[in-house]
Amino acid sequence: MNINVRSGNCDSADKVLQDFISNINYETAHHRIKTQDIKCGFGLQGVCCRLCANGPCRITPNSPKGVCGATPDQMVARNFIRSVAAGSASYIHVLENSLWALKSLGEKQLDIKGIQTLNNLASSLGIEENDTHKKAIILADFLLDDLYKPSFKKMEAINILGYTPRLNNWKALDIMPGGAKSEVFDALVKSSTNLNTDPTNMLLHSLSLGISTGFYGLTLTNLINDIIMGEPRLKISSVGMKTIDPDYINIMVTGHQHALHKGLEDIINSESVKTLSDQLNVKGIRIVGSTCVGQDMQLRAKDLDGVFSGQAGNNFTTEAILATGAIDLVVSEFNCTLPGIEPIAKDLNIKLIATDELAKKESADLLAVTPENAETVAKALVKEAITSYTLRRNKVKINIPENHGSDNALTGVSEGTLKEFLGGNYQPLINLIASGQIKGIVGIVGCSNLVSGGHDVFTVELAKKLIAKDILVLSAGCTSGGLSNVGLTSLEASQLAGPNLRKICEELNIPPVLNFGPCLAIGRLELVAVELAKALDVDLPQLPLIISAPQWLEEQAIADGMYALSLGLPLHVAKPLFITGGPAVTKLVTEDLLNITGGHLIMNEDVDTTVSTFDEIIMAKRYSLGI
Amino acid sequence: MTMKTEKNKETIKKIMVDESKCQGCYNCTFACIAVHENKGKNIYKVDTHNKNFNSRNVITINEDGRPTPMVCRHCDMPECVLTCISGAMTKDEETGIVKHNLKKCASCFMCVMSCPYGVLKPDNKTGKIIIKCDMCEGEDMPACVKSCPTGALYIKEVEKI
Repeated sequence: MNINVRSGNCDSADKVLQDFISNINYETAHHRIKTQDIKCGFGLQGVCCRLCANGPCRITPNSPKGVCGATPDQMVARNFIRSVAAGSASYIHVLENSLWALKSLGEKQLDIKGIQTLNNLASSLGIEENDTHKKAIILADFLLDDLYKPSFKKMEAINILGYTPRLNNWKALDIMPGGAKSEVFDALVKSSTNLNTDPTNMLLHSLSLGISTGFYGLTLTNLINDIIMGEPRLKISSVGMKTIDPDYINIMVTGHQHALHKGLEDIINSESVKTLSDQLNVKGIRIVGSTCVGQDMQLRAKDLDGVFSGQAGNNFTTEAILATGAIDLVVSEFNCTLPGIEPIAKDLNIKLIATDELAKKESADLLAVTPENAETVAKALVKEAITSYTLRRNKVKINIPENHGSDNALTGVSEGTLKEFLGGNYQPLINLIASGQIKGIVGIVGCSNLVSGGHDVFTVELAKKLIAKDILVLSAGCTSGGLSNVGLTSLEASQLAGPNLRKICEELNIPPVLNFGPCLAIGRLELVAVELAKALDVDLPQLPLIISAPQWLEEQAIADGMYALSLGLPLHVAKPLFITGGPAVTKLVTEDLLNITGGHLIMNEDVDTTVSTFDEIIMAKRYSLGI
Repeated sequence: MTMKTEKNKETIKKIMVDESKCQGCYNCTFACIAVHENKGKNIYKVDTHNKNFNSRNVITINEDGRPTPMVCRHCDMPECVLTCISGAMTKDEETGIVKHNLKKCASCFMCVMSCPYGVLKPDNKTGKIIIKCDMCEGEDMPACVKSCPTGALYIKEVEKI
C-alpha cells in the first residue's frame, strides 16, 4: 500500500473560485499543485548547478563544492542573477514593444490619447517639439536609444528623471545601469560556466538590473502606455467572473502588453462590428480582462465603455475563466498565460491566438503584431472571434459562477488620479500619515502563487491584518486581481479597516486597499513614493513604506524585487527566494544591504509575525521622521 | 506505529524501497537532515554544506549504475542488535523499530560493521556517535518517505511476526 496519495484542489482566498474549481471537470494548476507538492531541497535553496556537463552538482555535507570548485554562495549568486536577468529581459521587452508602438503612432499620425503625459515626459527629458506626432517619435527614439546602449554607456533618461538622493546612492555604488539590453546580456555572460565567481559583484549587478527593470520596464512602460491609450481614470467597477456576459462574443486577453491591443479596442467599437453583431443576434464583442493586461485595461476602463467587460481574475484564475465556456477567443501576448489553458481551450473549442512570437503557445495560431500591421492584426482577431463564436457556441454549455467577484470596486488609481483626488498634491496624504491616522503604507504587489497557503491566501490575509492596523495598502499586479475579487478594493471593505483608516475611507469614500492595477504599476507606486519623499525632503528609505511581494511567482517578480531593494525599501516575500543555500548572499540581502542601499529583504512565511515585523519597521521609521 | 488490520492482525509500518523509481535527487537525504538537526525542521534552515549535519539515509550507485536509496530496514533479525555489546541497540517488538540508545553506546562500531545494508555510520563531527534512523519518532510519516517525489520510498504495513 502506497500512502503517498495527493488529490483535490488547493485552497484559495477566493472561496467562490475554489468551489467553482472543485466542481469543474478540468484539471487546473489548483489541482496540479497537489501532485507537485514535494519540492527539491537543493532547488529551494539554490544550490543545484547545471551550468556544465559535470553537473548537475548539488551541495551536501559530503560534497560542499561543485566539481568546478564553486562554493554554495557562488552557485546561489550565479543562479540568482540569471533569474534577475530573465525577469529584466521580460519587462524590457514589454517597454521596447510599447516604444515601437508609440513611434509607429507618431509616424502614422494616429490619435494620441495621453497628450498631457507626452508633454510632461518630453519636457522633463528636454525634448522641444511643437508637433505632437513628431514629439512622440523623438521621445520613443530617445528611450529606445537608451535601451540599445552598450553596457559601458549609462542610460540617460534615468539620470534625468531619477530621484536625486537615489541617483547619488547608485552612483556611489557604481550601479547606474548601462543599456538595459546589454546589462541583461552581460549578466548571462557573467554567470555562464566558469566566468564570474564574485557573489558581491553579481549581487550589485542584480541591483543594477533592478534599476533598469523598475525605472524603464515598469515606470516608463506605464507612462508610454498612458500616452498611447490615455491616462487612467477613477471608476467604480464590478470585478470577477460575474462581469462576463455570455450574450456577447468574448475575447479574453492575457499578458502584459496593453499597447499591442490598442487596435483591437478601436475595431470592436467600429460600425461594421456593430452591424455584424446585429446580424448574429449578439450584443456585440467584448474584451474580458485577465492577468496584468486586463488590470491595465481596467485602469483605463472609463474610456473603454462597451469594449471592456471587466477584470475577471488573475493568473491562476485563467483556467477557471475558460472553463465557464463563455470565452470564444484568447488573445495572448505575454507571460501569465498558463500552459494549462491549452487543453481546456481545446476541449471547449476556444480559439487561441498569440500576438507576440516570444509568447507563442503550442496550440495557438501566431498573428504577431508589428508596428506596421497592428490594425490588420486587430481586424483579423475580431474576425477570428466571430468565427469561433459561430462555430462553438451552440455546442458548449455555459457555466458562469455569477456570484464570483465583487461590486463597488474602485479602479483607475494611479499616481495621477490619486494626486488629483487628493486635490492636486499629496499633502493631504502626508498629513494623514503625520497625524498617525494612517500609520504607514504597504505595497502588496507582484504575483499570485499556489504555495503560500494556496491561491492568494497569504496576500489576502496580510492585507486584512494590515488594514486592521490602520496601514494603507496599495496593490499592483496579480495581487490586485485577488484582493479585488474577495472585495478588499470595494468601498465596503472599509469596515475591515482599523478605526482611524476606516474613518478616512468612509469620509473620502475610498477602500482601504487601493488598486493601482498591473504589476507594471509597481512603477506607479514608486512615483507616489518619490512624490511623498520630495514633499518631506527625505530619501525613500526614510518613508514608513514597505513593499511586499508575498506570493511572488516568477523571474520578473525577482527583478522587480531588486528594484525595491535598490530604492532602499524593505522588501518582503513569503516563500524565500532560491538563495538560502548561500549564507553570504543571504546575509548580504537580508542584513548588509541596509548599509548599502538602505533596503533589505525579509523572508517570512508566517502572516502574523510578518505583520509584527512591518509594524516595527513602520514605527521605527515614523520615530526617525519625528512623527 | 502498531495498528490492527481488518482481520484483527497487528501490523507495523516499514519503509520500503523501489529502487527502479529512484532518480537520485537526494530529497530523502535533505529531508532527513531537516528533521533531525533541530533547526525547526525547516528545509530552508538546512545548512547544505555543513559537515556536522548528518543524514540517516544515503543514496548509493548500484552495480547497474543506478541510484539506490539506502535506508534502515529495521530488520526482523537485526544484525546491529545481535552484535551490539552494550545493549544500546534494541528491537522494539511492539513497533518493529530498531532503536539506538546513545547513553548505552560504547561506540565500538560493531553495528556499523555488521549492517548488511551499510546504512549505519558514525557522525561526521565526533566520529563517535552512531547515526541511526528512528522512523522520525513523533512524526506522522518518516520525512524521507514524505519527501520522495517518485515513490521510490514508500510505507508498507506488514504483519507483525
